[in-house]
Formats: sequence, C-alpha cells, structure tokens
Amino acid sequence: MIHLHGIQHRILEIGDLSIPPGHTVVTGWNGGGKTTLLRLLAGLELPKAGSIMFEDRKPGDTECGWVNEFPGRNMLFSLVRDELSSPLRFAHIPCDEVARKVGECAEWAGVSHLLPRRTHTLSGGEQVLTSLATALIGRPQILVLDEFDSYLDHGTADAIDEKILDSGARYIIQCTQNPDLAARADRVLLLSHGRVHAFGPPRDVFSGLERCCYYPPSWRLGRGTGL
Amino acid sequence: MELAFEAVHKRRGDFTLRASGIFGPGVHLISGKVGAGKSTLAALAAGIMAPDTGTVKKNGVSSFTLSLQFPEWHITGNTIGEEILSWGLNAEDVLMRVGMKGRDHDDPLAISRGELKRLHLACICMRKWDLLILDEPFSGLDCRQKQELCRWIGEFRSGILLICTHESHFLPPVDFLWEMRDGVLFALGRVPEALAAWKQAPPLLKSLLCQGILPRNITEDDVREAAWKIRG
Repeated sequence: MIHLHGIQHRILEIGDLSIPPGHTVVTGWNGGGKTTLLRLLAGLELPKAGSIMFEDRKPGDTECGWVNEFPGRNMLFSLVRDELSSPLRFAHIPCDEVARKVGECAEWAGVSHLLPRRTHTLSGGEQVLTSLATALIGRPQILVLDEFDSYLDHGTADAIDEKILDSGARYIIQCTQNPDLAARADRVLLLSHGRVHAFGPPRDVFSGLERCCYYPPSWRLGRGTGL
Repeated sequence: MELAFEAVHKRRGDFTLRASGIFGPGVHLISGKVGAGKSTLAALAAGIMAPDTGTVKKNGVSSFTLSLQFPEWHITGNTIGEEILSWGLNAEDVLMRVGMKGRDHDDPLAISRGELKRLHLACICMRKWDLLILDEPFSGLDCRQKQELCRWIGEFRSGILLICTHESHFLPPVDFLWEMRDGVLFALGRVPEALAAWKQAPPLLKSLLCQGILPRNITEDDVREAAWKIRG
C-alpha cells in the first residue's frame, strides 16, 4: 500500500490517502495538481509537509519508472539505443545482457525500428514509447506515467495499455485525460484544485458525473446500443 | 486560397512521406497512427521543412502559422505576460480567456502542460490566419478544454484549417477527411461521405459505421445522436 499523510505541496492538500497495489488512474482538470502528485510519488520532489511511504520505504528509496508529460525533457542521450540502455548501464549490468534486454524491451514497446534514430528526430508518439520502454527496462516495482497516452493514437494506446498491465509493476499510477481508459482501471483518483475529489473504483467515482464530460463516453453511448 | 502538395517526397531515415493533394478553404482533419507522418506533413505544410522532391505551394495565402505538438517549443518569453506579448496580444485579455488571470508573471515553463497548451492555443486562436495548421491540438487538454477548442473550430469560417490529430472522443465538426497511412497521404473526401473509408476512425464511430449508421459529422453530439438511432 502507498500511504500519503498530511501532504501540503504547491497546490496539493491531501489529508490521508492509501493507494493499494494495481492500476490507479489520476485524472482531473488542467492545473489541478495531477503532475505535482505524480512527481511526489516518483520521488522527484519532496513534499513541503507530510509524508509518503511505499509500503515501508520512501519514494526516493524505491525502484520507480517515470514517464514525463514532456517526454523529451527526460531524454539524456542523443540515440534511442543509448537512451533505452541507460538505466541498465547506470546499474553496471554487463554489456551483453544490456544488449539482449534492449532488444527485448524495444520489441515489447514496438520501437525496434527506432533504435538507430536520433532522439530529437522522434515524433511525440515515438518519444513517449521510447520513454516508456526506458522506464520499464529496469523492471521497476512502481511505474508512474504522466499522460503518456495523450501522444498516442487509440489503437497504439490500447495495445500498450495491455502490455503495461502485464509488465510486472506492482503499482501503476497513470495520469490520463481519457475517461474510457480510466473506466478500465482498478481505481480512479479524481483531483480538483489540489484536493481529492473522489477516489475508488471507476463505477463509484464516475457515478455522480454523468452530466460531466469526464463520464466515460463508452458507458454513455454503450448503454442500450451495444456499442 | 489553397495549399497544394504536388508529388511531395520527404525521406527521414527509414521513413518516407509521400503526399499529393489540395487543401482548400474549410476544416481538414488528418488522422494517422504514431509515426505515420502527421507531424512531418504539418512541418512541410508550414514550410519549416523542405521536401526532397515535389513542391508545397500556398496560393492566395497571406498569413499562416503552425501550432507545434509540443507547446514548450513555441516559448520565447521569460514570463507568461511576455509570451502573450510576443504574439502581439494583450496579456490581460488572453489570461481572462484561459482562466489564468493574475498569472502574467509566472514562468511559462513551470506551468502544467495542459495550461501551457491552453495558453498557446488561445494566442493562436485570437489572431486571424488564412492558413492555420494545428499539430495535435487536443493533446494535454482536459475534456472541458477539448470541448472549448471544438467550439472554436466549429466557428472557423474563413481560411484553411488543418488539424493533425489522433484524438478519438472530442472532435470538432470537419469538412474534409484525410489519413496518413505508413507515410502516404490519402484524401478520403468530404464528411460525412468520407467516413466509410476512415481506417483510423475512433472506436465508437467505427462501431456505428459497422452497423451501417452514418453520423452527420464526427463531433461528440453527432456520434451520440447516431448512437441513439440504434436505441430507437
């Protein structure tokens, strides 16, 4: 379980919140504090007040994969192959093992053809797939994804979503603006003005939002139509 | 007024884009998978990239701009106020429009991507263009902002508007549909007739088409109205 207690940080004000293992979607209006929360969970920032614990460890002491909402900002290397290899090279993994894992991970993410490319020539979708593969290559226990799906077409997003759920990460914390993706998660955290507006299974969170654009379109249109 | 792609070829590594077609006045939606060439087409249309062979001509177009997929690439100001001024606009008017009143001294690189996108699109939309190219304008926006952008596009009356997007829920009314398939531009035609040929159609729209139902257009309301026909 991830425990947040008395968090006060920038716009965020979260009293007590416990996030179980599984797939948690964070959603809400632009500027509502989603990225701030994700950065805290990824250990990229420390809260001004309050505490976060991943089971018995602090975020910074936990193996975490992170995909930035600006994927290009996180890239350290000019070649896709080097970028993808970097978490393993930094961990001093032997070169032949790095090469094997890079090949496997690139195939998993559908970016094998991009390995020789320069990172600055990648499209948004290609950048985010490369970032995702880099985040997952070290097999982290926690995967934090900040709106990576907004760079992908629906077919690619759905296919990669299934792979992420099957990646072995114990906690997947994903920010998205796609209500249909949120509807498939184990639970949804709806943030508004830095506070938790609702948290729980998708059915519970969305039940009072049928008149709002956040209500999953597939639920709205699917009822009685078979779509 | 028209934007013409004449036998355009552009090679980038293993990827080759091929495009021929004329974009006249109206709203054109260009869809395609990741890496299909939407952003390359947008860059060629704006003239920030030159084709290897073929030509891109802007006939009768006196003002044009490209909104890049990454809003941070547009930033030239140190503050939000400076950034808005760089577009020749009044900071107070723009901030009021995007609900960010009083934030003119904030660092544009320190606000969220959704807020930055909203700010950037407001600057674009508050000016008049003969040719406007929007590359993934919906990416990073929340549903309320997507609906707002759809409303603005719905009011676009004069000029040529190209929208390169993979958005699948909140879509604006469009006049013409195009598709990038593995680097090749396909003209599908005028909406709604073109919808039947749309391989990358959003899932709900595709389900309707499979049942022989043709929505009037591709907006949320059009899809909902068409879906209700099933319900009867």
